[in-house]
Amino acid sequence: MLSTTPDETLAARAAAGDDSAFEELVRRYQTRVFRLACRLTSDTDAPDVLQETFLQVYRHLPSFRGESQFGTWVYRIATNAALMHRRARARRPAESLDVFLPRFDANGKHAATPAELQVAACADERLDRQLLAEKARDVIAQLPDLYRDAFVLRDLEEMTTADVAEALGVDPATVRQRVHRARLMLRGYLSDLVGVKP
Amino acid sequence: MKDIACISGVELLMDYLEGVLPADLHAALEAHVAGCARCAAFVESYRATPRIMRDATAMTLPADIEASLRAFLRERTRAFRSRD
Repeated sequence: MLSTTPDETLAARAAAGDDSAFEELVRRYQTRVFRLACRLTSDTDAPDVLQETFLQVYRHLPSFRGESQFGTWVYRIATNAALMHRRARARRPAESLDVFLPRFDANGKHAATPAELQVAACADERLDRQLLAEKARDVIAQLPDLYRDAFVLRDLEEMTTADVAEALGVDPATVRQRVHRARLMLRGYLSDLVGVKP
Repeated sequence: MKDIACISGVELLMDYLEGVLPADLHAALEAHVAGCARCAAFVESYRATPRIMRDATAMTLPADIEASLRAFLRERTRAFRSRD
């Protein structure tokens, strides 16, 4: 049964020319790769990234040594494909999201009230699902690239900080700092969406 | 124990949640949040943000894109093999 065969076994079979093993691997990862591509590029570009990723996976299967998990390896290829694709596109000027960062008074105390500070936690209950989906996609695309990449991989794809650091070629502390900045901006954005100044 | 203001507490949040803060700072931040309603509310919304954004951007693979992927891979892997 292919459906219960470990990834690494399928990868070895696929590298030896077993098409059904490769097809099973594609089936396992296609949705996750597509979702990652949408989040790192756009709905328009994601199908190309999806195709490029699995072509690269196929070509490099013989060099997969199992030093990392197969899924991590595929994610790394997908991330590189998405970033390459995005670099080839003219970047539209991003609107600054600094306006959504938290505000403090002269004593370093939060300027907003507890109720105002908490409201972003309920954004998904207060907003129409479709509207939130559109706004979320838009604002993630507006994040500075460095923050977007770290946030998408760490918080949306739920990779470990160490894996994100390896995929992006930076150290874990840098990943944490970038994810933190993205979270601050997006938290404030969600608050603003429900009508409360962050 | 070291006193922490809201503004510096916010800057430590990610490291705090990832468990990489030095023990003294970790304890100081916990003590501050326990006594600060504003920071407690902020932490709640900060922690919820990834989940809300993740759920909002979840998606399935459309059938037409899956079909295009299959056709693309059939053609390109065949071409790749025939070069060997």
